[in-house]
Amino acid sequence: MAELIAARDLVVELGAERGLLKRRAGVRAVDGVSLSVAAGETFGVVGESGCGKTTLARTLLGLQRESGGEIRLEGALVSGASPAQARRQRAAVQYVHQDPGAALDPWWRVGATLAEGLRIQGTTDRAEATVRIAEILRAVGLDPALGDRYPHELSGGQQRRIGLARILLLRPKLVILDEPTAGLDLSVQAAVLRLLRDLRDRFGLTYLFISHDLSVVRRVCDQVAVMYLGRIVEQAPTAELFAQPRHPYTRALLAAAPRLGAQASVPGLRGDPPSLRAIPSGCRFHPRCPLADAICAAEEPTKQSVAAGHDVCCHHWRDAA
Amino acid sequence: MSDMLADSPEAAPSLLSVRDLAVHIRTDGGLARILDGVSFDLPPGGTLGIVGESGCGKSTLLRAILGILPKGARVPQGQVLFQGQDILRAPVRGRIGFIPQDPYLSLNPVFRAGDQLLEGMRRHASGSRDEHRRKLVSLFQAVQLPEPENALDKYPHQFSGGQRQRLLIAAALACDPDLVVADEPTTALDVTTQLEILALLRGLTAERGMGLLFVTHDFGVLSAVCEDVAVLYAGRVADWGPTGNVLADPRHPYTRMLLACHPDRATDLVGIPGTVPAATAQPPGCRFHPRCPIARPVCSQAVPEPLRIFDGSRVACPFHADPLPEVALG
Ligand SMILES: Nc1ncnc2c1ncn2[C@@H]1O[C@H](COP(=O)(O)OP(=O)(O)OP(=O)(O)O)[C@@H](O)[C@H]1O
Ligand SMILES: Nc1ncnc2c1ncn2[C@@H]1O[C@H](COP(=O)(O)OP(=O)(O)OP(=O)(O)O)[C@@H](O)[C@H]1O
Ligand code: SF4
Ligand SMILES: [Mg+2]
Ligand SMILES: [Mg+2]
Repeated sequence: MAELIAARDLVVELGAERGLLKRRAGVRAVDGVSLSVAAGETFGVVGESGCGKTTLARTLLGLQRESGGEIRLEGALVSGASPAQARRQRAAVQYVHQDPGAALDPWWRVGATLAEGLRIQGTTDRAEATVRIAEILRAVGLDPALGDRYPHELSGGQQRRIGLARILLLRPKLVILDEPTAGLDLSVQAAVLRLLRDLRDRFGLTYLFISHDLSVVRRVCDQVAVMYLGRIVEQAPTAELFAQPRHPYTRALLAAAPRLGAQASVPGLRGDPPSLRAIPSGCRFHPRCPLADAICAAEEPTKQSVAAGHDVCCHHWRDAA
Repeated sequence: MSDMLADSPEAAPSLLSVRDLAVHIRTDGGLARILDGVSFDLPPGGTLGIVGESGCGKSTLLRAILGILPKGARVPQGQVLFQGQDILRAPVRGRIGFIPQDPYLSLNPVFRAGDQLLEGMRRHASGSRDEHRRKLVSLFQAVQLPEPENALDKYPHQFSGGQRQRLLIAAALACDPDLVVADEPTTALDVTTQLEILALLRGLTAERGMGLLFVTHDFGVLSAVCEDVAVLYAGRVADWGPTGNVLADPRHPYTRMLLACHPDRATDLVGIPGTVPAATAQPPGCRFHPRCPIARPVCSQAVPEPLRIFDGSRVACPFHADPLPEVALG
């Protein structure tokens, strides 16, 4: 399959201040990420809260400027542009926000927000717009009458589905979904996941799917990349990743997933959560890793191939089996 | 369905007791009957999970308990007793901690996180500002925020989604509340961080007798934290009972069909057919009947009374023992 979007050695620095009097170094929220998403695929990104997933998404979108590395969209180099130009070049990439409340204009009825999206996309016929809005609302499990409401008159899950509907109406090529099923009940979640699949089949959409819900990731993603502290530490086809996780962090993550009806839970990760202002030497995971030894603290592991399409950054991945 | 627990066997004194609560909101589209006859009890140290489909009234229930219902909302009937006191008439703040559903909307972007949280503590907790700071920093550590000492000085946008959520968890715990009402508090957290937070909350219920009312869509989380669960559908309690029983042997057709949608269980991605009725147009009788595969004529006529089944479980469906057709279970 053709590559739709790709990043190479992407670095994103946040929070740097360059005032006259004050100078504060930023933090590298994304630090050398390379990935390649094929057209029509669903590419999952998982990882610890704060590891840089949303920052990666915003950078691929062009909302956040990269400090290093490059981004290609359908083969063309799109990184290095000014923010306004970057967004124009990347109109085919759309983002469904992690915080549903952040994505909707509080002063607009949600139906008007949806109609505005359609207008931008070129649908000017009022009747057609009404039909398409009702159609997408039903597809995300909402009563079309909710179009008359303001965002604050909707529940959290209803807001999230409006945000999703708004982006899907734009018919982008790539949709970056940031926690699209958080706060949805299982029934609505199933309906939303099915809608995403149907749209992909009908219009050839591609998804970058950021999620903490491993059951959902396992169900819908073709590939999964696991991030830890700004880096991708493991990537593999979904079935392989879940069956044979090789990075100790991936293994801890999969083990911690809550299970239906399970009472006791395994211990989480030991050690303090890492700080971007004090990135550990060698392997960034070594202070919390059960397999760490002297080499882990001294040398940064390079990417190694476990199997076709399965890469891992760990000195001791062979022992993690 | 009035009092689900009036004749409840366990007579432990309640920390929180919700009795026959209804909430209505006036909207352009007519009167929205959001909650109707909701009753449950929570003893000190108890953990009750609230599940139910998106839009069924979970957040509204929490807001009613906190006395922060939106404009236009009315409570036509019912009581919320907190430590024996009717808090619909006289709201208590400070002793009830609240973890809101949307951390993004709950923090003001122009003020530092610390100033916002400390202001809350100044109003509700005794002690000096320095003590409050120390308390917050220790809680930041407990919720696994990186660089806990610096977090107070940062602005909300300098945190990730899950970090903002953890700020608010710390804020809810800062005044040593007797009850925490949590609205999907871990949706933005990865599973290892989530595990730590759930252990922290469970620890507080065990050590200090803090009560926990926990809205979630995640049945795995539910099993890990909540002794009891109430399943809401369209503003009414459908199932109520010990979590283990409800998950192992769900009785209400809605609960059975909901559990069958779990991505680990379902063979295909199909939700429950049909959609949740709009709160302005609730069907008569059992509110689930238009979507229920085993509905009978009586279901559209009479509101089902909660039936006691076993071990304190209640189900609001007279046909809860009937098998569901295979197709309804994915
Ligand atoms: N201010 C309001 N005016 C009118 N209707 C409202 C208002 N607030 C909420 N509603 C409606 O009341 C119902 C219950 O909302 P609530 O926020 O309690 O749902 P919820 O169970 O928390 O859902 P979710 O899981 O999606 O957060 C929804 O159908 C919502 O649209
Ligand atoms: N403006 C900023 N200045 C400094 N640091 C920032 C800024 N924005 C984000 N960060 C930090 O960058 C890191 C990555 O944040 P990001 O939002 O990308 O995480 P995430 O992986 O999406 O996490 P979550 O799962 O919690 O949403 C976090 O540690 C966050 O604290
Ligand atoms: S390189 Fe060493 S510390 Fe890093 S994950 Fe592998 S074993 Fe653990
Ligand atoms: Mg994020
Ligand atoms: Mg809610």
